[in-house]
Amino acid sequence: MLLKDVKNVLNCKSFIDDKLLDIEISHCYAADMMSDVLKSCKIGSLLVTGLINPQVIQVSEIMDLKGIVFVSGKEPGDDMIKKAEEKNLPLLTTGRQMFEACGILYSIGLVGAEIQKKSEDGSRNTIQFVV
Amino acid sequence: MDQEILYSSSYKISGRDFVNAGSVSVKIKKILKEIGIKPEVIYRVSICCYEAEMNVVMYAMLGTLDFIITENEVMIDIEDEGPGIQNIELAMQEGYSTATTEIREMGFGAGLGLPNIKKNSDEFKIESVVAKGTKLNFKIYLN
Repeated sequence: MLLKDVKNVLNCKSFIDDKLLDIEISHCYAADMMSDVLKSCKIGSLLVTGLINPQVIQVSEIMDLKGIVFVSGKEPGDDMIKKAEEKNLPLLTTGRQMFEACGILYSIGLVGAEIQKKSEDGSRNTIQFVV
Repeated sequence: MDQEILYSSSYKISGRDFVNAGSVSVKIKKILKEIGIKPEVIYRVSICCYEAEMNVVMYAMLGTLDFIITENEVMIDIEDEGPGIQNIELAMQEGYSTATTEIREMGFGAGLGLPNIKKNSDEFKIESVVAKGTKLNFKIYLN
């Protein structure tokens, strides 16, 4: 699905040019701890978070996240919006709380973006990414 | 070193500078992309650098990051001046953290950083002296 479908279904306010919402999204990760995102999130995911601070944008760049949905009506500050614009990173805010937002996204077909804990042969975890 | 150095650079990291925190890792990621290193390696290096850079920003006064690419590997050395780590074995355990409330409110300090660097690197070394600082060295193989 496209990021603009996510915007519509969660009735989001967008903080960037809506043209950037025409990108394909296939998986999603939700967390308030950036430590969790760095540890477990698949590269190229959509992130759902309740955390508002500039480090969310930095983590998004490291993990090549395709967009961020802030929950519970939390809106990014001007500094965050400016940083996101420089990186063409879509920022959205929904009035839904975390549980509802994730439930709705799951119901329309997004899948979880957590990397597998351990591969079957016990070898070291490798990062998965979406081309 | 017996391997030819293809690229090297060095960066300063300021402790408590939460505004620029992460910018060194983003620079390194860009350099790796420009050189044409394969994506999986870029992600692993970027994640390790970012975790290590955030550790310096959150806990230390200042640090230096040395970044070297050879024909076989990416090598990162990070040395900081700070409180050091009392118990490295504990610090390497997932979930153990001495982070302050301020750090946790920023979405960090879950006790995942060092284990995540170890997980994503091929070689990992840590040395620390209490009240002096911490040295971290990790390598990620290109192939």
